[in-house]
Amino acid sequence: MSGGPPRGLPSTGPHSLLDMPHPLAGSSSEEAVGGDSTPSPDLLTARSFGDKDLILPNGGTPAGTSSPASSSSLLNRLQLDDDIDGETRDLFVTVDDPKKHVCTMETYITYRITTKSTRVEFDLPEYSVRRRYQDFDWLRNKLEESQPTHLIPPLPEKFVVKGVVDRFSEEFVETRRKALDKFLKRITDHPVLSFNEHFNVFLTAKDLNAYKKQGMALLTRVGESVKHVTGGYKLRSRPLEFAAIGDYLDTFALKLGTIDRIAQRIIKEEIEYLVELREYGPVYSTWSALEGELSEPLEGVSACIGNCSTALEELTDDMTEDFLPVLREYILYSDSMKSVLKKRDQVQAEYEAKLEAVALRKEDRPKVPADVEKCQDRMECFNADLKADMERWQSNKRQDFRQLLMGMADKNIQYYEKCLMAWESIIPLLQEKQEAK
Amino acid sequence: MEQAPPDAPRQLQPAPLEPLGLPDAGLQAAAGEEEEGAREEGPADGTMTENNFWLKKIEISVSEAEKRTGRNAMNMQETYTAYLIETRSVDHTDGQSVLTDSLWRRYSEFELLRNYLLVYYPHVVVPPLPEKRAEFVWHKLSADNMDPDFVERRRIGLENFLLRVASHPILCRDKIFYLFLTQEGNWKETVNETGFQLKADSRLKALNATFRVKNPDKRFTELKHYSDELQSVISHLLRVRARVADRLYGVYKVHGNYGRVFSEWSAIEKEMGDGLQSAGHHMDVYASSIDDILEDEEHYADQLKEYLFYAEALRAVCRKHELMQYDLEMAAQDLASKKQQCEELATGTVRTFSLKGMTTKLFGQETPEQREARIKVLEEQINEGEQQLKSKNLEGREFVKNAWADIERFKEQKNHDLKEALISYAVMQISMCKKGIQVWTNAKECFSKM
Repeated sequence: MSGGPPRGLPSTGPHSLLDMPHPLAGSSSEEAVGGDSTPSPDLLTARSFGDKDLILPNGGTPAGTSSPASSSSLLNRLQLDDDIDGETRDLFVTVDDPKKHVCTMETYITYRITTKSTRVEFDLPEYSVRRRYQDFDWLRNKLEESQPTHLIPPLPEKFVVKGVVDRFSEEFVETRRKALDKFLKRITDHPVLSFNEHFNVFLTAKDLNAYKKQGMALLTRVGESVKHVTGGYKLRSRPLEFAAIGDYLDTFALKLGTIDRIAQRIIKEEIEYLVELREYGPVYSTWSALEGELSEPLEGVSACIGNCSTALEELTDDMTEDFLPVLREYILYSDSMKSVLKKRDQVQAEYEAKLEAVALRKEDRPKVPADVEKCQDRMECFNADLKADMERWQSNKRQDFRQLLMGMADKNIQYYEKCLMAWESIIPLLQEKQEAK
Repeated sequence: MEQAPPDAPRQLQPAPLEPLGLPDAGLQAAAGEEEEGAREEGPADGTMTENNFWLKKIEISVSEAEKRTGRNAMNMQETYTAYLIETRSVDHTDGQSVLTDSLWRRYSEFELLRNYLLVYYPHVVVPPLPEKRAEFVWHKLSADNMDPDFVERRRIGLENFLLRVASHPILCRDKIFYLFLTQEGNWKETVNETGFQLKADSRLKALNATFRVKNPDKRFTELKHYSDELQSVISHLLRVRARVADRLYGVYKVHGNYGRVFSEWSAIEKEMGDGLQSAGHHMDVYASSIDDILEDEEHYADQLKEYLFYAEALRAVCRKHELMQYDLEMAAQDLASKKQQCEELATGTVRTFSLKGMTTKLFGQETPEQREARIKVLEEQINEGEQQLKSKNLEGREFVKNAWADIERFKEQKNHDLKEALISYAVMQISMCKKGIQVWTNAKECFSKM
């Protein structure tokens, strides 16, 4: 999916922005999402340092990258992306090369983040930085703060129970790396989030810690306003379309939870089956040692069972490493979406409360006061963002699950194919006529 | 054929053909006129003709099982299963079979037949019966003797037993076996009349011989070790296989849960719904496929069990050899000591300790007449002893020869049967893998349409 072009024009209710095509409409791309991003090799153009001073499409202020209330910023966003083909990507991010760092105070893993981009926001066409998990965590928090109306992709779980899981084992690190890669790719694919300042810094800064310290003091305008909103306002009723989304997410999360439990149970049963197989195979070997003519056939069966055992182990490892984490990620994702829905409710509640307050004042006002209008804008933008994100999320979810489930089927097919090969290969051995002893 | 010389009553003889009338008459009655034709065929060797005669002409099947109630020996009501045994004679010209005999037997009668065969053919590795009680069961299988699946497998096992006996070159000619197939009423009495229970070697005697025998044939000692180890390894195999079956069952059945959850999930999805729903259906198919797979595997387990029990039959032959060898050694020892005693009495020297010698010392010498009398008795005993030793030796050698011939036959059979069993097991696994590939390919197809 490309980094930006808006498609479709959703109607977000009767208000002043109706005539404006909304840049955040979900672009339901048919391409498979996820996996490695292949950088387009010929979009490398050097940007002069001066570009940064030009009017940027997502608002002028560094902190106000996603000020939805500004209609001009919306227009700008639309104009920039107008002439780019939907299929062309201009930002590619990859997470790889995990390395362990041992320091006096702690041991931790860093990952290499490689960025290739032709966007003006990036001074260089290519960047390579090292980041650790807490940097990702910081990024996510910053995104949530600065883009409260948007759904931020989930991170893999922060804490792992020491002793149960080895934080430095290859499998764990690889699983985490994949999840972090997915996280950044999802942001990359988002038309608004990918232009976020913090995201840019995360991808490019040599010293992220310095920036972090600096950022602590600032509060985004929008962040402030959202914080101001939370608490105190109770929503009377959720509009139907958002209620439907809420219901869907609830059921979806439930079903995923069930699938997660089933998958875990299957893996558990398969492991127990494996344990028995590992005892079963060798008994044929023991028997083989007693026999003369039957010795080779029995040994053959023993080896065959051994091969099947190995194939089964590969299957359970794959399912544990590839299937379960993605499932859990989507549960987190839907939880994220639910909390965004709640924030939206808050914004709507504030607007309605203020509107009511104005109505009650019975003053003859020629127009609605500015702050109530601002509230309305906020709400309507929030609604638009959320709906757009939801559509995008639905589309991605469909592709992700198609891929995930096909992958699960594939792994099982491969397992059976390995076993089939093993058994078919010993048939000739079993049928062989032995020479006279 | 392999029959012991028909002399001393102490000798065990295969009772069949002598005390119970002409065997040929019985066979003729069953086979009818086809018998003439069969007799004219085949090699001049009487044995082989008659052997082939059985196999060609007779088809045996245990075709049905039926639950019955009756009163047992203690006049208490009991439920048991009866099995229908049908014997057909086959017309060798057109392959048509005619039902000649049909009767019902219960498991205990099979046991009686087998015990009889064990006593009268100690040099034969007697085919085993299917297990009395279900063992090595994995949880889904019932351990109940009345369970229809168990009864069915037992029916097959009993049929297999009869076929094994009928195809054994020696056992097939046994009259009691023939009557088992043809004479429903009174058969039990007939068997008991042979007095075979009395002729059976006592367990204690056999155990004693096993420990005390000095010079058993080395081959039998090795065979005994082999059958012990075979028993151990097959038991282990069957136990683990049952656990493997259990676990495999669990794996397949849990997949059935996907069916339900995919169905529920599809209800809230728009485009993904159909794909999920149909994939769920395939998961259900997958989950239910394990029942047939494991049912088939039970046949493999039964084949292994047969050889597990065959190991016991092998051991029985070894035990018999040890018993005979021990008997021989004891007889030789006894003879040697008598000879020595005789010599001592004759020469007046006492070389060995004897109670008589002791008492003689204490209470005075015996008279020359007394001594003569004793020498005479001893000489008679020695004579008898030498005769017995000679025939025991002969018997022993005959036994070893015949037993070893049957053991060789058994080894061939075992190697062949177990190879076949392994092949059919591999074929089962292949079929299971192919089914698995099919189901998951179908599911993948559905997922791709999501």
